[in-house]
Amino acid sequence: MTISGSETARRAERMLRWYPQSWRARYGEEFTELLTAELLERPRSWRRPANVAWSGLFARLTSAGLTGHTLEPSDQVRANLASLGCALAVFLAFGTAMWSQLTIGWQWAQPSTIGTSVAMMTMSAVLLLFVIIGILAIIPVAWNVLTRLAQRRAPELVRPSVLFCLGIVMLVVGARHFGNGWPGTGGHHWTHQGLIPGGVAAFLWALTLSISSYWAHPGALLGFPGAEVAWMVASPVAMMCVVVGATKIVRRLDMAPALLRYEALLGAVASLAMAAFLIGCCSWIVDGGPGPRNLFHAGVIDIAGLATMTAAVAVAFRTTLGERRVGPKFHLS
Amino acid sequence: MTGVARTPASRAKAQAQGVPTEALGTFGRYAGPATLILSSLAEGEKHGYALTKDIEEFAGVRLAPGTLYEALSRLEGQRLIEALESHDRRRPYRLTSVGAAALKEHLATQRRVADIGLRRLSGHWGLV
Repeated sequence: MTISGSETARRAERMLRWYPQSWRARYGEEFTELLTAELLERPRSWRRPANVAWSGLFARLTSAGLTGHTLEPSDQVRANLASLGCALAVFLAFGTAMWSQLTIGWQWAQPSTIGTSVAMMTMSAVLLLFVIIGILAIIPVAWNVLTRLAQRRAPELVRPSVLFCLGIVMLVVGARHFGNGWPGTGGHHWTHQGLIPGGVAAFLWALTLSISSYWAHPGALLGFPGAEVAWMVASPVAMMCVVVGATKIVRRLDMAPALLRYEALLGAVASLAMAAFLIGCCSWIVDGGPGPRNLFHAGVIDIAGLATMTAAVAVAFRTTLGERRVGPKFHLS
Repeated sequence: MTGVARTPASRAKAQAQGVPTEALGTFGRYAGPATLILSSLAEGEKHGYALTKDIEEFAGVRLAPGTLYEALSRLEGQRLIEALESHDRRRPYRLTSVGAAALKEHLATQRRVADIGLRRLSGHWGLV
């Protein structure tokens, strides 16, 4: 191969990175050969990289179970569960951030409108439901992972498990520490007005401290303690560790059909719960206004959060519908 | 080129031949590339680049690499084509019997539509 030929092959291999790993493992070599031949024949083309990029992203969405192209039934359910987990993580990050601000407002003064009160109670109840769903979902998967790891039967689960645990430890330790700075405390006589226990509110507030409009105001951010800013940077990384670890575990763990069906059912319940939480958020924003009457005035960050959460709910329902589509064929041995 | 809805009679005939009734109907915007690929493979096995060149020659359409492989992966997933063993990095593909039946069914539907369109053009517009 000439120098230009090897450079062409490198270009082709770079373009291959648009595709997911599983796709590359199956089609990578032959696709690179085709791209190399195309590049040698027509070195310049703006359509080709655009086409490869689009097709690669589409293949990633397909492997995540988010396109109409169905995978093998068990792979499809696993892909849907992983996508639902990612959507739920994004939803919870923004939802909890919004809700934890409102808990601070409630600590200072109870809302005087029914709309906001009902919204807060709905969101709080749904968050409790998420905790229950999370526990119910994690226990059987964790048991499967632990037994396989103990029997040394699943080396591919070691790294994602370590990543997941590392993220959880970082989040728990960090949120416990930075929760001490929760604005809902301070020894005021009205702090007994909280809707939920202060410790829980403080923990979740600190957990989602990174989702803040302060990023748009660097001057104000500079006034923060350095450790707090570091936590605002580190906590999303820890969240990513948890999400990536959990996603890889779900994709790699060989789950029994009954367990997959059980997890899919919990996923459907979680999707409905997300919709209920979203209705609560909308109710607060519609009912909102400045001053203590509605806890807080909804700002740009809340509207952006609401848009993100709506997109996450759409993805969650898409994956749930995908599971229903797989359902009749889902007779795994 | 898009998928054309089957009549109940043609659907029943396709089922009797063991062709998945929605073999190409579920391909959406990839139905066109899938038809071109199947038509090219009807002549014999080919790898990706040979498919691109052959399709360009007989249809005047150059399939972009991403589109070609997206369609190939779907066709392979539906067992309409199969990949063959290869000693080099270029893997050839071959039409399966199910794929051949699906292509025949799809092209027959398209021919019916084309015949009707041409007949109406001839009758109402005088175009032959």
